[in-house]
Amino acid sequence: MGLKRDKDLVERVARLEQEVADLRRHNLRLAELADLVQELLVPMAQRDQERVDAAIAAFQDSL
Amino acid sequence: MLDLRVLRVDADGVGLVALGSDRVVDVLFDDRRIWSFWVRRDTSRGGTAGGLAGGLAGGLARSITWPPAMRPHLVGTGSVTLREHVSGVDVWSGEVAFTDDERRVEFVDRQGHPISLDKSDRFSPVFAERTAADLDPLLDAMSELLDVLAAYGVAAFPAYGTLLGAVREGDFLGHDSDADLGYVSSHSSPVDVVRESFRLQRAVAERGWATYRYSGLAFRVEVVEADGATRFLDVFGGFLDGGRLYLMGEVGHPFEREWLLPLGTTTLRGREYPAPARPEKLLEVMYGPSWQVPDPAFKFETPRQVTELLNQWFRGTGHARRDWERRAAQRRRRPVPKGSSALAKQLRRAEAPGTLVLDVGAGRGRDALWLARQGHPTVAYDFAPRGLQKAQRTAARRDLPLDVRALNLDEWRWVLSEGARVSRLPEGPRAMLARHVLDATDEFGRQSLGRLASMTLRGGGRLYVQTWTGRGRGGAGLVPMEVGRVQKLLERHGGTVLDVAEAPGGGSDGGKGSVGKVVAQWE
Repeated sequence: MGLKRDKDLVERVARLEQEVADLRRHNLRLAELADLVQELLVPMAQRDQERVDAAIAAFQDSL
Repeated sequence: MLDLRVLRVDADGVGLVALGSDRVVDVLFDDRRIWSFWVRRDTSRGGTAGGLAGGLAGGLARSITWPPAMRPHLVGTGSVTLREHVSGVDVWSGEVAFTDDERRVEFVDRQGHPISLDKSDRFSPVFAERTAADLDPLLDAMSELLDVLAAYGVAAFPAYGTLLGAVREGDFLGHDSDADLGYVSSHSSPVDVVRESFRLQRAVAERGWATYRYSGLAFRVEVVEADGATRFLDVFGGFLDGGRLYLMGEVGHPFEREWLLPLGTTTLRGREYPAPARPEKLLEVMYGPSWQVPDPAFKFETPRQVTELLNQWFRGTGHARRDWERRAAQRRRRPVPKGSSALAKQLRRAEAPGTLVLDVGAGRGRDALWLARQGHPTVAYDFAPRGLQKAQRTAARRDLPLDVRALNLDEWRWVLSEGARVSRLPEGPRAMLARHVLDATDEFGRQSLGRLASMTLRGGGRLYVQTWTGRGRGGAGLVPMEVGRVQKLLERHGGTVLDVAEAPGGGSDGGKGSVGKVVAQWE
């Protein structure tokens, strides 16, 4: 019984570690999306073609 | 020195007997430090013991080979000294013939600057070799950069080796080759500190500096010194949360806010810079309690949990990028190979004249240049775009329609903004070439390629993929990518697979490995 419970716990810990790692990785990707939207959404919503081009160029220059 | 005896210094490396406590030895050529190592930590037992080494000494012999980066320089004869770093005592000195060539061993870069190995085992012009005038632009850039960051509400300070040098010696560390700034954000969540780092890089780039992102929380700024040498100024972000300081890329320790703020000052080459309120506390978490003892062969011993945490939060933005950059740098002076791959020819046969071609992972630009010569407006992308310089110059000279752009598949910001940019180009037929990209990147990069294809090819554009499928020998840096996996990936991103082919190794494509080709179309 004890051995099986130990094995189950070891597996659960490994799984939880994996899940925590996956969640942590979302931080960077969420930051990327927020940054992209913040920089490009307004010129795109304004439908000002020149400003859209300028915003994309400025954004890519800083990557 | 009874407890440190050098047995041999030869073309292979150094053999020695080291008793007592471990210590650092500098290796000098013509009395100039080139490399340093710890006599126990960095050496291994055994090795050929020459000269006096018999009996007891032979049994205790340890040895170390020359670092790989040093070997290309070891041609001819050199005057070598082994000097204990802290005491300054010479433990060995003599002439060593590395090869039969009639010349002296030299350590200089292409511009003739003296170079040494830095802590990352790379050759660069280290600070010890620089004159005051050479370093003024770097000191100016540090001040200017601190002002830019301050304007964004970020109180930065010299960090890592630069802080250590300033506090301990009032100068840069002689064996160091770059300068570091650090700051502790007022935010306390990883998402917010990454967004702030993006904003800071944008502010720096807007002022005309060339920048380069290492991770979600670190970027570098390129500074050109007085004699034209490029020096890197790294900007590491950090934050405090739950009584711990996290500072990219080595720190995750219990830390008090009062040890940082309000910032005090420190002096570097006679100039005043901001510093943490208690710099010794930060130096201790960076370099351990012995930070006051000079160690030119220092290696970080960051706890595994800290590295994992920082990896998961902030890293993963450039899979194997350093390897690809090194390959690109090694080859950048060679001519672009002639001709094209079979895959580029296949694209050329199938696509209408004038089709815009996006060549992702263009390497040195052989296919891109060839396609541009055939009249296809071509965009050559690589995340190590230095390798494309030659192709770009050739295209410019001959007025060929080739556009060279950096693209990093491991960052959504690159991929999505490029997808948006291309979607705004004038309408017309488009195709994408991805030769040894899916087998060179990681899973995130593979998904990004699918995403980029779906953004740029919709309306009938086709993607031509080639991968190494795992049999025989793949190229450097490649992992096996079976055609079935490629097919599934492209379908997941909305592509319709038109053609799948697999050739065993030894085909006309140059590689001896097995090669898979997949063509997909986006409606």
